[in-house]
Amino acid sequence: MREKKLHLKNVMKSFGGRKVVDIPELTIGTHGIEGLIGPNGAGKTTLINLITHRLKMDYGQILYYANGNEIDISNKSIDEIARLGMVRTNQVIQDFQSLTIRDSLLLSLAAPAYENFYNIFSERKLRKTVEQEIERYLEYFHFENPDGHALSAGEKKLLDIIRCLALKPQVLLMDEPTCGLPQDLIDLFIDLIKRKTVEEDMTILIVEHDLDLIWGVSENVYFMAEGEILIQGPPDEVRRNETVVEKYMGEGIA
Amino acid sequence: MGQILSGYYVYMLSILVVYIALATILHAQFGLTGIANFGLSAIWGFGMYTSALLIVKLNFPFVPAVILATVLTGAVSMGIGRIILDLDSQSVLVGTLAFLAIIETLVISEKWLTNGVMGIGPVNYPFDIGTYSQFVYFLILLIFTMALMYYARKLESSPPGRLFLSIQDNEPLSQSLGKPTFRRKLFFFAFTSALAGFFGALAAPTYKFLFPKYMGPAITFTLWIALILGARKRIFGGLVGILATIGLFDVILESVVPIPSRYAGILYNSKYFLYGLTLILVLMFRPSGILGEKAKSLNIANTGKIHKMEG
Repeated sequence: MREKKLHLKNVMKSFGGRKVVDIPELTIGTHGIEGLIGPNGAGKTTLINLITHRLKMDYGQILYYANGNEIDISNKSIDEIARLGMVRTNQVIQDFQSLTIRDSLLLSLAAPAYENFYNIFSERKLRKTVEQEIERYLEYFHFENPDGHALSAGEKKLLDIIRCLALKPQVLLMDEPTCGLPQDLIDLFIDLIKRKTVEEDMTILIVEHDLDLIWGVSENVYFMAEGEILIQGPPDEVRRNETVVEKYMGEGIA
Repeated sequence: MGQILSGYYVYMLSILVVYIALATILHAQFGLTGIANFGLSAIWGFGMYTSALLIVKLNFPFVPAVILATVLTGAVSMGIGRIILDLDSQSVLVGTLAFLAIIETLVISEKWLTNGVMGIGPVNYPFDIGTYSQFVYFLILLIFTMALMYYARKLESSPPGRLFLSIQDNEPLSQSLGKPTFRRKLFFFAFTSALAGFFGALAAPTYKFLFPKYMGPAITFTLWIALILGARKRIFGGLVGILATIGLFDVILESVVPIPSRYAGILYNSKYFLYGLTLILVLMFRPSGILGEKAKSLNIANTGKIHKMEG
């Protein structure tokens, strides 16, 4: 068990009168890798959007714990939350069309002090500082042409994940990271994030429909349905739970 | 020698150089960052009129007037930016265009201050070295324009340039990487607008007498046509575009090619028609502009895609 990273209190979100997320109390981040599962429309992505403030809660409070401090992030902006050390990867493919793979990583790794409009002479210094790290990522994932654009959906998805990892977050929220990736790349990045949770004290919450992956890597699993977290616990317990079987996996599969 | 180095040609070259600077500013704002500024000519005009008013009405020396005009333009742009820059690009377009309409109307209607359509002046060169004054002043304009283009060039391959491109491509994604995109955009808009004001103030002595039409919508549209023609994402896009529009139609056709005077009026009136025609031809055959390279065709295919974050 680790110290919790997130504490949600009375978090509520509804769209047009329909409650999409309704969580009285939830702590996240007490394990290295946690899984969030549930049927389509359960509110998983909405929950992640609420935590990262891409969506505004109707009401509620989200507390974030970093370096021994308790920070109320309920009203912080997307970029402030990211700078505090919590980032998310995207379910739908997101990319910068004008940036090559290397540029994308340079963007991710550039500290704010490099990015004022007058810092036009800081390119060399930035490259020198982050070159090795970028090379490590590029070698690890063998991009065909790092100085070209990410071409396939898989490359874009992978780049999205690496951009986030490069930020060295405390909390990484991954929304269906394996969707659209070939198995060998999935294995590669799972290996990498497992290592990071140990070496860098990173906590990861994965939203996935690939249940084999969830049972395989998570130490703790949340089951969400109709906007509520119904069950949580170790993967073995959750997968045998009657409610989970009935509402999600269908009888006879577990 | 003095004859050649003064008069109409140097005047036209000076105007050309200032327009190239403005088109380069538009490249930085729109081509790089995606800020659809349709009020650029008014921002430029604001700097021009402010410096002229300071000099003519308050007897300011030239240099302090230019500096004050630059700072005021930046401050006003900061105010506009705060209101509109977190809106979508259509709203930015409408907002900046509205600013243009307001400024132009004020300059025309507030005759006590600006002398309306009668024009205000004279704004003289800050130095007097006889017949060479105009040419030396042209060189100064040229140097500042080249400095601006150097800045744009360095910017493109620097961390802030990369950030601005990411804002144009996918602002929510950039934000989710911890980039304070609104603040960065706001400061960059204010800075580049202040530069436009600076070039406005610098251009004032070239015109000597200022009229509202110098900052009207026609100027903004010409700048836009020029940048799209040249290639909005390329540093020299503004330069090539200005040469292909104002350079070709206003300078070469009007002054170099001997056209009988009775046709001159027709030529003047058909200028925008010809701009439009050129623009259509370029967009048909080279959609990313004259300088837009074919290798970028991949990007063009992607630009139509709407980036929508899930949820």
